[in-house]
This record gives sequence, C-alpha cells and structure tokens, in this order.
Amino acid sequence: MRTKFSGILTLFLAFIVQITFAQEKTISGTVTDNKGLPLPGVNIIVKNTSSGTQTDFDGNYTITANRGAVLSFSYVGFEEKEIIVADNTSINVQLNESEAVLDEVVVTAYGVGRKSSVTAAISTVATEDIEDFVPSTSIDNILQGQASGVQVTAANGRPGNTAFVQIRGVGSLTGSTTPLYVIDGVPVPIRENDQFNPLSNINPNDIESVSILKDAASASKYGSRGANGVVLITTKKGRSGEAKITFSSSYGFGERIPDPFDLLNAEQKLEIERQYADLGVSSAQSLPGATLNASQRASLIALDTDWEEELLRKSVIQNNALSIAGGTEDLTYFLSLGYNKDSGIIDRIDGFERISARLNTTYQAKKWLNISANFSASRSSTDLPRDRNNVQNPFRGLYDYNPYAPLFVRDGQGNIATDDLGNPIFNRGGGIFFPIAEALTTEPEDSRNLLFIGNLAADITFSEKFSNRFSVGVINNRFNGTTRSLPGGVLQGFVGDANFPGTQTNSFDLDLEYNVNNLFTYSDTYNDVHNLTASFLLEYNENIRQESFTTARGFPTSTIPFLDVAAEPTRVGSNEARRILFSQAIFADYDYDGKYSVSASVRRDGSSRFSPDDRYGTFYSGSVAWNIAKEAFMDGSIFNALKLRASYGTSGNQEIPDFEFLDAAEFTTYNGNTALRPERFGNPTIKWEGQSLLDIGLEFGFLNNRINGVVDYFKKTSDDLLLNRPLSTTIGDENNSLVSNVGEIENSGIEISLNADIIRTEDLKVSVGGNITFIKNEVKKLINDQDIIRGIFGNSILRVGEEVNAHYLVEYAGVNPDNGAPLYVDLEGNVTEEFSNSFLKLQKDKSPLPSYQGGFYGSIKYKGFGLRGDFVFRGGNYILNRQRASGVFIGNIDSNLREEVFNYWRQPGDTNVLPLPSNANEATADQFGTTRFLEKGDFIRLRTLTLDYTLPSKFLDVLPIDRLRVFATGQNILTFTDYEGDPEIGIGSAESGTPDGNTFDPNFVPGAFSQFSYPQVRSYIFGVEVAF
Amino acid sequence: MKNKISKILVLFSFMSFFTACDDELDELQPFVEVNPDTFLSENNVTAFQNAVDGAYGQLWQYYADSANGLQGLGDILSDNVIQAQSGRRSNNAYHDYLFVPSTAGFIANTWDEAYEAINASNIVIRNIDNLENGAGKDNILGQALGIRAWAHFDLARVYGQVPTQSAGANSTLGIFYSKFEDGDTDDLLAQPARETVGENYIEIIGDLERAAELIGASNGEGRLDRNGIYGLLSRVYLYNGEYQKAIDAADEVSTELATSEELPGVYTDSNNAGIVIELAVNTTTEANFFNVGVLYSQSSRGNIISEYVLDFDLTNSINADDIRLDVLQFDAVNGDNTYNGVKKFLGEEGQNNGRVDIKVLRAAEVLLNKAEAQFELGFEPDALATLNILRESRFVPAENRDDDPLNDVMETYTPGTETGAALEAAIQFERRVELACEGHRFFDIKRRGESIERDPDNGDLIDGTGTPPQIATIPAGNFRFQLPIPINEINANPVMAEQQNPGY
Repeated sequence: MRTKFSGILTLFLAFIVQITFAQEKTISGTVTDNKGLPLPGVNIIVKNTSSGTQTDFDGNYTITANRGAVLSFSYVGFEEKEIIVADNTSINVQLNESEAVLDEVVVTAYGVGRKSSVTAAISTVATEDIEDFVPSTSIDNILQGQASGVQVTAANGRPGNTAFVQIRGVGSLTGSTTPLYVIDGVPVPIRENDQFNPLSNINPNDIESVSILKDAASASKYGSRGANGVVLITTKKGRSGEAKITFSSSYGFGERIPDPFDLLNAEQKLEIERQYADLGVSSAQSLPGATLNASQRASLIALDTDWEEELLRKSVIQNNALSIAGGTEDLTYFLSLGYNKDSGIIDRIDGFERISARLNTTYQAKKWLNISANFSASRSSTDLPRDRNNVQNPFRGLYDYNPYAPLFVRDGQGNIATDDLGNPIFNRGGGIFFPIAEALTTEPEDSRNLLFIGNLAADITFSEKFSNRFSVGVINNRFNGTTRSLPGGVLQGFVGDANFPGTQTNSFDLDLEYNVNNLFTYSDTYNDVHNLTASFLLEYNENIRQESFTTARGFPTSTIPFLDVAAEPTRVGSNEARRILFSQAIFADYDYDGKYSVSASVRRDGSSRFSPDDRYGTFYSGSVAWNIAKEAFMDGSIFNALKLRASYGTSGNQEIPDFEFLDAAEFTTYNGNTALRPERFGNPTIKWEGQSLLDIGLEFGFLNNRINGVVDYFKKTSDDLLLNRPLSTTIGDENNSLVSNVGEIENSGIEISLNADIIRTEDLKVSVGGNITFIKNEVKKLINDQDIIRGIFGNSILRVGEEVNAHYLVEYAGVNPDNGAPLYVDLEGNVTEEFSNSFLKLQKDKSPLPSYQGGFYGSIKYKGFGLRGDFVFRGGNYILNRQRASGVFIGNIDSNLREEVFNYWRQPGDTNVLPLPSNANEATADQFGTTRFLEKGDFIRLRTLTLDYTLPSKFLDVLPIDRLRVFATGQNILTFTDYEGDPEIGIGSAESGTPDGNTFDPNFVPGAFSQFSYPQVRSYIFGVEVAF
Repeated sequence: MKNKISKILVLFSFMSFFTACDDELDELQPFVEVNPDTFLSENNVTAFQNAVDGAYGQLWQYYADSANGLQGLGDILSDNVIQAQSGRRSNNAYHDYLFVPSTAGFIANTWDEAYEAINASNIVIRNIDNLENGAGKDNILGQALGIRAWAHFDLARVYGQVPTQSAGANSTLGIFYSKFEDGDTDDLLAQPARETVGENYIEIIGDLERAAELIGASNGEGRLDRNGIYGLLSRVYLYNGEYQKAIDAADEVSTELATSEELPGVYTDSNNAGIVIELAVNTTTEANFFNVGVLYSQSSRGNIISEYVLDFDLTNSINADDIRLDVLQFDAVNGDNTYNGVKKFLGEEGQNNGRVDIKVLRAAEVLLNKAEAQFELGFEPDALATLNILRESRFVPAENRDDDPLNDVMETYTPGTETGAALEAAIQFERRVELACEGHRFFDIKRRGESIERDPDNGDLIDGTGTPPQIATIPAGNFRFQLPIPINEINANPVMAEQQNPGY
C-alpha cells in the first residue's frame, strides 16, 4: 500500500505539467441589498462547477467564469439570483429579501449541499460564531454551547488540552464518546488511550466552518466511524482577486476561577488542630496546633502562606495570526501563520506554545480537472505537570499545604534561609512532604508535537452527468517527549541511584494515518423537476503508530538535557501498532422540484479490530424531507422557510484497542531475564457495536427570516455495546475484564435552537439566540441482566432500566444528633452508625449525564460597536465531589482543610453539621463513596463576553486598510452554581486510579467525580484585527 | 475523444489503488504481542522458562509494590512497627484497621496480582506436554506448580483463616483454588465460589509435594528450586499444624544460615547467604521497577522521611550483642525528629532508593519453623537445640562490637536453657526479631490465634515519646484478621458477593 501511496504523488506531478488555458474571464462587481447597502459574505457560485467565492466586507467580489456560465448569488434572508455571464466583466447585483431562506451552502458528508434540500440534521458553526473564542486553543473547546445536541466539556483547564465532546448523549460506553473529526476530508485519528489528540495542534483561525452531523442521514455515510457523530471542519480558501491580508493580535491573562468556599488560614488551621487534639483525634496530637505554645503559634500565624499565590500565577495568553488569501483565474490560495502562547497558571513552568502554518490551494488544471491541495504544519510544545491525585500535583498542593508552612525555610530570625549559592531553600516541614514548587523545576516533563496534515484532491468532470473525486489525506504527527529527573532534584532524593544521579527518558512516537478515497458521482435532472444524484465510494484508511523510548541515568550536570552525557542507558523500547479500515459505499439523493427529497446510503466497512469472521459491518440510512415553504399554498405566508425532515439509519463503533479478539502475552523482564507476561484474554466473538438513530426535525424561518430555528426529536439506540465486561479477578486477567458486546442503551431527546434578529436597522442590530437539548438515557439490555459496576472507584453502575453510569454509592443520612456519629442507610433502609461497602446502591436518576444542556447568546451592534455574550448551561447531572471530601475528612487534619470543618457536631441536638471528629468517627466518616459528597452539577457560565469596535469605513478611506477592529474578551467570567467547586468537570484527575498512572482507564466515566485536575481558567484578552 | 480516454484512464489509475485492500486487512497481525499458547507450542525449555519468569514477575508485583507490598503489610498490620507522624500517612487505613472492601491498595493488589501469577503458571502447566519428557520439563513443571501453590497460599492466609488459627478454621471460607487440571480455567466468564480453608491447604500442599519431586536443585537467583519448595513446605505444614512434616521438610533444606558477618550484606544484596527464596530485581535495567523500601521510608537530601518505624519495645528487646539490632534498626533523622528507622530495605550498598530484592524465605525461618514444630510435638530439648543454632549465629563476639554500657551484654555466647512456656516464648521472640519487617509478624500472630497488642503508651519517636498508635489492640478472633474480598471481585462475581468475610 505504501508504494501505491507514493505513486500518487508522481501522478499529481504529471497533471500539473499539463497546463491548459481555459476560455475564462474575470468578473467583478458589488452585491447590495434592496436599500443599496453592500452585503458582505454573499455566496457566489459558478453553477455546475466547484468554483465559488464570497463578497468581502464591502460587498465586492471577483470570480472567474466562462462566457455563458451561470453565476448564482445567494445570501441568507435574500432571494437567490442567477445571472448569465455575457460580455461584461462587471456585474453588480441587487438581492431582494427573500422568503426562500436558509439556503446556505452546508458542508455535508462527502460533499456540500444546499441547506434547503438537505435531508439531514446538521448544525453549522461559522467562522464569525467562533472568532470570539479563538483564544481557546483547541477547536473542540470552541464548540461548547454553539450547537444543539452537542455537549462539550473541557477535559480540564490545562492550556492546549482538548475536550470531551458528546453528540446526542452517550452513544458508546467504551472510553471514547469522541465524534469523528474530518478536516477537509481527512479523518483525524484521536486515541484517548494514548492521550493522542491532534486537535490541539490546529489553528482555530484557519477554520471556515464546522458542520456537525448528528443524524443517521449523514453519520451513516461514515459507517463504522459515525456512531458518535461526525464533525466536519472546513478550512478557509482563497478567492480569486487581489490578495486580502488579515492580521490579528491579542494579548491577555488568565487566572484560576475562584472557589466558592474558603480554605483555613494559619490561625484557623492551628485552632482546628487544637480542637481535634482535644477531642482525642490521635493524628492531631503531634501537630503544631496541639503542641506549640502561644508565642510559637504566633510566629506561625504570622507566616500565613497563601499557597495559591506561591504555586500559581496569572497566565499570559498571546495570539497572533496572519493570513493572505487571494487568487487568479485558475489558482486560489489561502496562506496563514499562527502563533499562540498560553503560559498556564502554574508558576515556574512554561505552559503551551504553538506555531502553525497553512497553505490551501486550488487549481483548475484542465477544463475537466480541478486539483486542490491543503497543507498545514504546526508545532506545539507543552509542559506536562503531574495531574494525579497525589503529592506531586500543584493543584492538590494548594489545598493540602498548611497555611502556617512557608514556601521557603526560615531561620531563627524569621528570614528566608539560603543555600551555599544564595538560593532560597524550599521548605519541607509543616506537613509538606514533597515540595511541589521545587519539584516543578527539578522534575520537568514536556512534549513537542509536530503535526502535518495534507490533503490532495482531484475532481474530474467527465460530462454534465458524471464526475469523480479522488483524494488522498495524510496526517502525520511526530511526538517527542522528555521526562527528566534532575540530579540533586526532589525525586532523585527519593528514588534515584546514588551512583548514577539524574534520569531522563526521551520518547518518540510517530503517527501516520492516511486515507485514500474515490467518489464517483452521477447526477442528472429529468424534466427540470426530478433531480437525482448517486455516488459510489471506495475508501481505504490505515493508521500506523510507532513508538520508541530511551531512558538513561547518571547525569554530570542538570544543564544538559541530552542522553549523550548520561553514564549509562537503563531501558529502551520500541513498538508498532496498525489499524486498517476498508469501506465501500453507495449514496443516492433524489428530490422533486426542491420540494420533496429522499436520500439513502449503504456502506460496508471492514475493520482489523475484529476477528476475520466478524470483520465486516454494513450500515445504511434513509431520509426524507418536505420543503413546505416551496409549496404553492404557502405563498404569502409569514414563513420564509419551513422544512420537515425525517431520517433513520445505522452506524457502528469500533473504538476498542487493537486485537482484542486474540489472546495475547507481552514480554517484560524479571530480574533482568526475559519474562512472558499474559496480557489479556481474547474475545473472538466481539463484533461491531451498532447504532440506530431516528430523527424527525422541523426547520423554520419567518418574518423575513428574522426569526429562525430548528426543532429535532431523536432516538438513538446503541446495541451490542462494546465495553470491558468485568471478569472475576480469579481468572487472572491483567485488566480483570474482557472486551465484549454487553448490551443496549437508548438516548432520546429534543433539541431546539432558535435565533432572532430583534432589531435589524442600518445602525442597530440586536439579536439573540440559543439552543437547548433535553436528553434522556436508559440502559435497555445487559448480558443476563447482570449489573456492571464501573468507574475508577467502582462508583458508577449500569443497570437495566436505569440511567447510564448512575452513581453507585452508600447513602449518607447525616449526623446522629445525639452523639455526632455519621449515619448511613443499609440496604434494608435502616439507619446505622456502621459503614459498609455492602450498603452500596444505585442512586436513582443521579448520573453524571446532564438531562438538559445548551447555550445562548445576545448580541448588540450599534454602528461600529458590538457587544456579545455567550452563555453555556447544563443541568440534571450529579458529580461526586471527592475534592470536597479531601477538604473535610477527619483523617486529613495534617493537611489544610476547608472552612466548613469548624461546623462539626458539638452538642446533642446539632444537625446539619459535620461528624464529631474522633478516631471512631474517622473510620466511618472518611469514606469517599457516599452520597454525602454527591452534588448537583447544574451551572450557567458566561463563557465569553466580547466588546468590540470596528472603525467605520469613512475613517478607513484615508488609510490603506479595509478593516480595523479592536476587541476585549473575557472568558468564564461568571458562573452560577451550587456545586462546591468548579462544576465543569471533565477528567476529574487524569492519572487517578490507574496502576501506572499514565494510561487512560477504560473504566473511567467523564464527569463522574472531581479530584484536583488542572482547573478551569478565567481570562481577559485584548486584541486588534486589521485587514488590507 | 482524446479527452474522454484520458479521463477514463485517470479514473482507472485511481481505482487501482484499491485493489488488494482486503488482503491488507486480513494480513494484519499484532506487532509486539504473542499468543502465549503459540509461544509455548514447541519443545523449547527456554521459552517455558521465560513464561515461568513471567509468573515470578507477578509474585514480585505484589510482594514488592512500593505502595502496598506484602513484604511490608505483614508488619504494618502488626505490632512490629508504628506510623511515623511526619510521613505521608501511607497505608493508614491498614495500620489503623480502618479498611473496607473498597480500600485501595493491599486488599485489591494482592488479590489481583496473585491470581495473575496463578494464571501465568496455569498457562505453563496447560502447555507442559509440548516439552519432551526429562529433567528440563520436570524442572519447569516443578517451578510452575510451586508458584501456583505459593500464590494460593498467600491468598489463603490474607483473605481466609489459617488452619491453626481457631478450632473450626478449616471449615471456614478460604479462597478459590484455580487449577487448569480441574477445568477451573476453562470458562473466562466463570464466577467461582470460595472453597474452605481445609480444601485450600490440601491443594496447596498437593501442588508443593508434587513440585518437590520434579524441581531442579538450583535454578539461579530469584527462582524456586528444591530448597525453595521444601522451605515453603516447612512453612505451610506449620500453618497447617502438620508438625512432623514441617520438621521433615525443614530437614530437606540444605541452605546454610547466614553468619553474623554475612547477615548485614544480605539486606544490601551484597550476598545471598541464607536465602532460600527471594524475588529479585535487576537494579540497573529495572531501575523503574518498584522500590519496596518506600513502604517504610523515603530519604531525601539527608532527611529520612519515615512512614513506619520500629516499635519502641521491639527495638529495646534486642541486645546489643545481637547482630540483628544493627541489621534492623538505624537512627532515622527527619528535621528535629529521630525515629527507630527500618534498615532492611534502604537499598543496595550505598543507596537509599529502597530498591532491593525481596527476601521471601530464609534458612533462619526454616530453622524457626522446625523449632516451633518440635516444640508443638513436645520435643523440647530438640526445639531448644534448634533454636540455639540460630542464636549462636546471631551473637556478635565482644571484639566485634561497640560496647553499649546500657545493655547487659554477654562476653561470650552462652546457649539458652529455656523450657516450657519460656521456650515457646523464646522461639516466638527469636522469630519476631529474626524476621522483623519481612512480612511475617501479622501472619504469625494470626496463625497462633493470638491478639495484636501494641503498647498504647509508646509513641513514634526514638525515645518512645511522640504519637502512640491509634488502635492498640486487635483481640484474637477479631474479623480484622481476615482481610475483605476486594470490592472489584464482589462487583464482578455475584457468587463471591454472597461470601464476603464477616464484618465487612
């Protein structure tokens, strides 16, 4: 296959030399509305070709077309106009406000379509919707709240980190609910298991539009990869005409979103220690609060360290973007450069940095042959602070470290003590076992990713009826990771070898995914009213990953980060993994006069993830649409658009590790000798996870389309769910689980999205909009109806008839008012002072999945000023607040605690208090897995608020620039929630609960608990945008 | 026309990229994994030894785990050590007996890794007939049977009662004994039940006795051999109350006791004197593997951050003329505090990273097993003689020691003369001191049906002040002696969910 692939390059070169000159001319002009105002963003298409353009800010356009060709001008809210190219090279067009609205071009599965005739449920996010979010460094984060049915939760707040995206609920239970991302036709490989996600390395400024394919009508076209929905990302293209240069730059800062609770200060902490010691808590007996005299305490109180201040900082966020776009008759280009930096809020490390470049070109090589090439390269580097629930995590440290412990050691006089070199010595006393601030500098871990995405496509027009598109896409990522433990550093003191100080591991991973597809299309129109399109697709997709690493030890100096200077290598390794998918598909679309549309698709996929017997899966879909607005009886109605559509179809999921159908053992060593270690039991019977999706939707627009919206009902049934089925540990499996088809779940819901231009005058435009999704989910079937208990801590459950991943906890019944002991409810319903794991039970209708979610915005534009606020919200979900548990546990008295710990039981009759601190109560009170820490996750968050000003063109006339915009944006500046912490929880804690701390646990349930992950950040950014 | 032909030619050239895609799909095989049965399908003793070494590796996983290794938990659960307040409070739930089935660490880890060792040995046994008959095959099978019995024995003594622990112990629930030969491994989805303690020990002993007849005399460091199997048998028979067999098995072990000169080097891995079974680690190429010493302490820039330190009374019960005081204890200084630090696992010579081999079974234990068995059978003079062999080899002659005026030290070795209860106490005292911090104490108290009694007045500091233990006493017969079946097993196996140990 590889040789075939290299052959294609030669073939393309061969095409490029065959330059011919078409009988084309350049046409330019201005498009205005019926009041004569210029219309920016009007779509202009040369009919029956793939070439098109849009008007600029002043309504001007330039396009090349043959004499006799038909130019089609379309714009939302206006009637489409067609003009035949004659001798004039200047065509000015006035569009009338129209009734047939919503007629945008939308990117659809394997092509583009007109919104009016598309039979599928597609949400489109356009560039102007996301420009305010651009400082978010990853595309998936930007989608939050932008489209109905799409739930986006930032994995955590680490700069450059990606997000958990769920389209229409949980379709799959394996680690991933991530949809398929396709960038300009190239599927993006994302493997959460390997923490590999190239989305963070794509410049959001390059994006023209994002189409989210939600229903079977389009997702089925992606067959086995469409079950979680499909996100199509289209990057910007040049338009023929003079080059447009756009430059934008922004600068800002970010900080941790403040907690809705207080930690103890030094005086309070010493006081609670004294109280605990008096109450007989043995772990408090030797703490300063219990042992020190008044003057010693006073000197500690004077220190009163604010650990947030010592460990964190204000982050610096910088973004610069430059693009140059333009073209000639045959050639268009879009060139962009981007630079993003976000230092992150952890002090002493560098954070995230990305530099990216892109060149998109199209070339009309022959009259019948158009070739296009998109290339992008980007490099990002990021620090990787430990994100686990232990002493190495700074976000745990700032809650844990006692406020009476200083950052640096103090001498007898209270001055900061210094070492021989005059550097301050980091303190390790006062409960600080591991000095995180120091470790951040002595235990650096960072990674660099170099990502290339290339896409070559050739469109051949055989005749008016037959065309063919062949494309090759390649994604290549080179990952370099360096993990160092400096000689003389914190960790070396613990685990280093005295004779070989310092260790370093260099890892190198190479990911290559290539995708070759060919789409042969027949399209025809009979009697002017019957429109038929049929396509045949062949697609081959292979993913190859190679990994290697080297570890060495014995570094003479901490300043040279290369293995050359190491005394000896200790470990090396390399491996490879591949996954192949081969697909054939037929798509057909028919419509009658644009009023009645029918579409169907069949796709057959073969995947190397399944055994040869169960390798192929067939997926199909059918959909219909009735464009009611086009009916004669609708003439004169208030509706500009009204379309009813329905679809049903199937898709599949293969997101499981490779070769799960085979028994496997791996090689390791024991005492330096080769050792064979059984790795897993294979399940030869696993097969495709299937999904069927029913969707009924209504799209409407009225009052000149000033009010428009979409309502969709959907029901998604996922069966033969792939999941790690728990095995009895006595079987001896390394993961105690077997990948199996375990059951069936159903998601159903209603999505509503609505936009309204309340005021639309020349000077003032006020618009509001929003979307909301109500979603219900239920486990329908499990093998033998047996519950599956999952989650890293075993606190989530699948049970037939209940919500997916419902919380599985012991019910807490408050404190016994007579004696202050914590109370629990056993399975018979009796309240007892005992705690037992046997009391664990499903918490009815309480799961991490929200029952409603969405976003809304309001925008005011007055002359050049604009103000836009975007909110996101979610509700009905429950989160196990393990972070709060850590802040109130009796046994954690040696760490800092939350202020609420003073509210403990003091006398008979006290209620709504924490348990009386005592050794006996510690045994029962300090339990994570109880409803005591289960909290509602509802929140509304002002995601962005942007104020901008665009200089009127009369001022610009004297300057050689077309557009000047200044803006200020705040992100996450307001949050309304009752949750005792930050309610936007993705990973909780990335490394928790896994034996080696680095791999993604398949049992992990996103959003189920919080535990000291990198917090969300509130940021303020100021910027300027110039176009000329 | 020319155009048309070239268009079609281009189309066909595109389509040619898709030929043979099906083959690509079907030919794909794993890259760095093997099917274990395929790997063991030939008459290749080396391959089988690789598989056996994999099984040792699994045992090592639960003995050496730096967070919850069996090597340390056997003492952390007992009266030998006390929690140092300036540590991380690791294993707090175990030391303070707060553990429940969902408590992370030792409960889950031991259960998991022991059954993985059992699976690894069952895979060897399943394929054993691919080897030609002869000594090579016998030695492989002997090791595999030995590992299987050893892992089951550890499971049985952690999660179930020990036969000698109480009168009815043999009829209480033990663990599930997984044997390929009995069809136990046929069904991946099986939800097995616990068997009784009595049944468990029959199978453990059965596997070990079979192994004894097959295994070779020497297999190199870190592996079982004939001495290892008989050493295990002497322990298992003692646990099972079969005292004559314990004596006979002990007599089969030819490993010499480490001398008092050799003993300190045993714990820095400078020598292997007196080692009958160890689980070994190569500290160069396996520098990323567990460092077992972290269970007791970590050291950083001169400060020893202790997790657990020696009980004040235990430290002071050892005479200065006893080499074991120096082997066991050092002054662990952390800032202003000094503790009776545990010295056995600091690391190899000159290291403080806690990475050393696991001493699973030493000749001294075999001798102590024998002395105890002799005493139980009423052979008091024999028991005393056996015990005196050990005591003599632990005595430091006057010229070799720093005289400590506080201790009433002997100038020359004088054999002990105890009888009756005093002899029994002496045997247990020597056992406690000799095997301190090697994972025995909790099980010795347990199997003898005694109580765990920590001195409620002894603090964690070197002079006995500081914070005393939160829980001082676990009386004999308390449910805490049997650890709970881990929550993951309860969740995945409804049969065993009905068989949780009492008290949980």
